[in-house]
Amino acid sequence: MAQPLVKKDDDRDDEADYSPFLGIEKGAVLQEARVFNDPQLDPRRCSQVITKLLYLLNQGETFTKVEATEVFFSVTKLFQSRDIGLRRMVYVMIKELSPSADEVIIVTSSLMKDMTSKTDMYRANAIRVLCRITDGTLLTQIERYLKQAIVDKNPVVASAALVSGIHLLQTNPEIVKRWSNEVQEAVQSRAALVQFHALALLHQIRQNDRLAVNKLVTSLTRGSVRSPLAQCLLIRYTSQVIRESANNTQTGDRPFYDFLEGCLRHKAEMVIFEAARAITELNGVTSRELTPAITVLQLFLSSSKPVLRFAAVRTLNKVAMTHPMAVTNCNIDMESLISDQNRSIATLAITTLLKTGNESSVDRLMKQITNFMSDIADEFKIVVVEAIRSLCLKFPLKHRSLMNFLSNILREEGGFEYKKAIVDSIVILIRDIPEAKESGLLHLCEFIEDCEFTYLSTQILHFLGIEGPKTSDPSKYIRYIYNRVHLENATVRAGAVSTLAKFGAMVDALKPRIFVLLRRCLFDNDDEVRDRATLYLNTLGGDGAVVETGEDVKEFLFGSLDIPLVNLENSLKNYELSEESFDIDSVPKEVKTQPLAEKKAPGKKPTGLSAPPTGPPSTVDAYERLLSSIPEFANFGKLFKSSAPVELTEAETEYAVNVVKHIFDGHVVFQFNCTNTIPEQLLENVTVIVDASEAEEFAEVATKPLRSLPYDSPGQTFVAFEKPEGVPAVGKFSNMLRFIVKEVDPSTGEAEEDGVEDEYQLEDLEVVAADYMLKVGVSNFRNAWESMGADCERVDEYGLGPRDSLAEAVNAVINLLGMQPCEGTEVVPSNSRSHTCLLSGVYIGNVKVLVRLQFGIDGPKDVAMKLAVRSEDEAVSDAIHEIVASG
Amino acid sequence: MILALLFANSEGNILVERFNGVPAEERLHWRSFLVKLGADNLKGVKNEELLVASHKSVYIVYTVLGDVSVYVVGKDEYDELALAEVIFVITSAVKDVCGKPPTERLFLDKYGKICLSLDEIIWKGYMENTDKDRIRRLVRLKPPTEF
Repeated sequence: MAQPLVKKDDDRDDEADYSPFLGIEKGAVLQEARVFNDPQLDPRRCSQVITKLLYLLNQGETFTKVEATEVFFSVTKLFQSRDIGLRRMVYVMIKELSPSADEVIIVTSSLMKDMTSKTDMYRANAIRVLCRITDGTLLTQIERYLKQAIVDKNPVVASAALVSGIHLLQTNPEIVKRWSNEVQEAVQSRAALVQFHALALLHQIRQNDRLAVNKLVTSLTRGSVRSPLAQCLLIRYTSQVIRESANNTQTGDRPFYDFLEGCLRHKAEMVIFEAARAITELNGVTSRELTPAITVLQLFLSSSKPVLRFAAVRTLNKVAMTHPMAVTNCNIDMESLISDQNRSIATLAITTLLKTGNESSVDRLMKQITNFMSDIADEFKIVVVEAIRSLCLKFPLKHRSLMNFLSNILREEGGFEYKKAIVDSIVILIRDIPEAKESGLLHLCEFIEDCEFTYLSTQILHFLGIEGPKTSDPSKYIRYIYNRVHLENATVRAGAVSTLAKFGAMVDALKPRIFVLLRRCLFDNDDEVRDRATLYLNTLGGDGAVVETGEDVKEFLFGSLDIPLVNLENSLKNYELSEESFDIDSVPKEVKTQPLAEKKAPGKKPTGLSAPPTGPPSTVDAYERLLSSIPEFANFGKLFKSSAPVELTEAETEYAVNVVKHIFDGHVVFQFNCTNTIPEQLLENVTVIVDASEAEEFAEVATKPLRSLPYDSPGQTFVAFEKPEGVPAVGKFSNMLRFIVKEVDPSTGEAEEDGVEDEYQLEDLEVVAADYMLKVGVSNFRNAWESMGADCERVDEYGLGPRDSLAEAVNAVINLLGMQPCEGTEVVPSNSRSHTCLLSGVYIGNVKVLVRLQFGIDGPKDVAMKLAVRSEDEAVSDAIHEIVASG
Repeated sequence: MILALLFANSEGNILVERFNGVPAEERLHWRSFLVKLGADNLKGVKNEELLVASHKSVYIVYTVLGDVSVYVVGKDEYDELALAEVIFVITSAVKDVCGKPPTERLFLDKYGKICLSLDEIIWKGYMENTDKDRIRRLVRLKPPTEF
């Protein structure tokens, strides 16, 4: 019956009215499912009911445990039917229901029967179902059949078993690994798909064995792989092998490059592309290697298939980041892609062009982009804006036209994220390109005249307050700022008042006029705005006398609040009204290390749309500020080094504690980061009792207890030790967490009055020589080594005894010294018998140290090492030898 | 991993929705994201003309087929090229089952067969079969002809 394809006509309207699933309801379908129990099965009817059940499940409907069990049991009855179509439906249904472990037993015998059936297709499907619902114990029972199935002459059966193997590898790796020989055989199969699946499984089984993967790749790249899919896999595995053996090549030729290059001439586009991409991603790829790959990608750019165009331009986009010159040949093709219907392709083309373009082509490019911007969605526009920002930083001379472009698009319609990206870009350009400052600030001023986003307005006002007073004519910004006080909501008005005050504080000439404006704000109908105006008038001396603004006032206006707002909020919530006023110094300054929820689910990877978790900033700067804010430690001098946190508790314990070792010239401070993971407890007066009996040179001088440690809100307690000045003293410390624990009522969140003193044993902690060494790299080791000179050089040889491998020995020495490996010399090529490793660092007392390590390994794995140290001080060179000798 | 496969009708109602390795709480998010993507871009697109998008490390390839739109989402080894392959298999299997690019009604009429075909094509996030003739035979529990 011939029907028009998708024309909207009367027939079709009629059709749509009678959806076979119109008004479908779960309860009714479950009732219908009782036909599965009929003694005389009607296969057609049963298939229809299963279809309805599938429809429900595919719509996102869920069955309760009871419903699922009931349906499952009835479905198992259908194994009695000999109808082939119905049997196929039954297989799908069982997989969809994924029965629980205690129910699986009901179908195992039926499935096992099918698995050994003479009908190939029963075997294949039964394997897939069994593997879907099976657990480890059942798997050992059917393992024999699965191994047979892998080498079954029917490709469907073999594929079913192989793909099952890929899935089972996640749950029962030790069983699947035993199938290696069968899988190896299947890789040689004549059926393309079997080969593909077998190769994928074999690689997964062996992925941790570099030598085996290397062998696999070597043999397959010589032979012929039939399936293009398998060929793609092989290319991926090959590039992995190339990456790992990168350091092994003495000659200029890269192993397997010829294979990759050969794949560029394959007949399947998929393979060509895969090879081209693999080549572009090679480490340190040369332009000679790159050329053939770029050529095929260029051909793809004009392909009629959007997917190929997208793939090609995406790859070229990546290449452009590292080798912009290599991509310039494709510029003409990419320019034609700017008008591509698919906006993803157009955006990638634009951003690639922005990277490869030279200074002279910027203006032409901007013209093209202007036309293009009006018809793409915000998320693409953001990408373009970011590309333009980096282009501007690359060609600062072009700031005028690029800044104009940004200000033009800022005036057009757009959502918050887009506007924010533009504003951020302008701000960055103002900061980095001094000539762009004044025009940029004016663009921002114009923008806030008509800005619908409170957040952006306040951010810009804040920025204006900092940058505006430093310009040649600050007075021209006042009008824009004061307009906000008339026209905007309270949040923006308050921001504008603060900005005005900043101008007043910085520019004495403007002060009287600013006072007039601020006084007008005293009658604002919002209390925050009035409060701010009053506060600033008083601090700036607005009672008439125009005086020089004091330093402390400037500090108050421009200084940053170096307390994380989250911590301040928490402290304010915990603060109870009492005689004692709130003390801002009691707010912890350490950024919360990790929210508890994330810790508990480490296996959960961010998939899709969720943003990646952002790491806390744990720089030396942050530590230095934190420590200098504690009066007890203020006179310890400059912080030399802070170690990475060392865990003192196992994961998933009641109290999580890690320690950061802060090294000063004459002191060591242990910062214990504690987290209470029990909602029903509040800990108070938390300290760590540190026993230094195995660290003779250390004497405890101060402790700073943690007043309160509520649930899931990390806090710190500190212990400080004195040690001989400038001496790299080492020792071992045992630690005990001591605290008063109070029960918390989970319903009200209130803690009981009385607490009990308790202790909790922590793991030991060591201060080692590496703690006195800063990892500071040098860009050119040879130059640094030569210029250091041999005056304070010390050379000696050491036997390191039997070691597992050379790499292990090298790592051990690097960790012992705590120095920065240079020029990638920490990587030891597999199978090498000797290795040279270059290290650099700064030793306590700010003495630069360079180390050259030469390792050799002989037959019974005995490792010998020659250590050459150069530094600015021979005592330090000796000290390094001392560390190695005693380590 | 093929993270999601979605069929929707022209009004954006879901006909088939299959997720692999996507947490339950993110599924709704994906569903509305994909439907919106289709509503924004699929107007006037020819049958089986592929559109492609990427979001962070995730790729999306989608198209229309008769009255229904099809979306596949993948990551890692399932990049846009692999997904194009997947969607090609899916659309040809659906056309094969329905005999032509389906109307919504026809799609629902053949729902059971379509589910079986999808079961042969994607298995727990990995592509298993690629040839439509082979899939047609497998759905009927017949061994493939090449064998």
